[in-house]
Amino acid sequence: MSSAPTAPATATPQEPSLLAAFLSYLIPGLGQIYQGRYGKGILFMVSLLGMFMLGQAMGNWQNVYIQSFEGGPNNPRGPGSVAALVNRWHYGGQFWIGIAAWPALWQHFNFSVPNKDDHPFWHNFQKMPNENDVNQFIVNSDKTPDLGWVYTVVAGMLNILVIYDAYAGPVVIAPSRPAGKEQTVPEQAQTKPEGAG
Amino acid sequence: MLFAMSIYWHLPLMLLVISLVYSATRHEQWDEILGEAFRWGIRMFGFMLVVALVLYGASLLWP
Repeated sequence: MSSAPTAPATATPQEPSLLAAFLSYLIPGLGQIYQGRYGKGILFMVSLLGMFMLGQAMGNWQNVYIQSFEGGPNNPRGPGSVAALVNRWHYGGQFWIGIAAWPALWQHFNFSVPNKDDHPFWHNFQKMPNENDVNQFIVNSDKTPDLGWVYTVVAGMLNILVIYDAYAGPVVIAPSRPAGKEQTVPEQAQTKPEGAG
Repeated sequence: MLFAMSIYWHLPLMLLVISLVYSATRHEQWDEILGEAFRWGIRMFGFMLVVALVLYGASLLWP
């Protein structure tokens, strides 16, 4: 009598969840928290949002934006064009941090923003900075602003892994042992017939 | 002054976050996450150290 093949022990298999993936896109770790994986959710949230915000601060809050060109929507290189993203490719990575990078889209499409006199910070938040101001800032700084935009892009790219973790669970590279039990060696899936080579 | 201004103080933070987040997306148990993060942290630190030494050597050869 041959025994049925036993699957190797793996970490908690998880049903794919588009909702959890979307929540983790909006706010890093929110999908994991929705799934009850609080520790990992809080780790992702604090680490990635902290890294993204620190990166922005290191760049004087002028390194997350979408390039805009003069001429408005009728300009083929204006808002909404591919050229806007090609010229500011960093945003392709920053975008994946979720809501935290949406103000750049808001600014790019010229939606209403807080008054400049009352709220100068929010008025310019993730708005394309003046090129001369940026150049002046970089010339007078050390390499910190350069590291700043790297932080923001890395945070966004790492969140893609977090989104996948929320969607389908961890990408387990080695079988995990069940909690409180020693890992068992799986039985062979097929038994060789006697006398076979 | 050097300690206060050096950008290199930001690098350990990046190393910590990348290794922790990456490992947490590959495992579910905390002991596995921390172990994997430690290993990745060592690998990345070693890589950065080699690059730093090469650049330092180059700066000595071609000042």
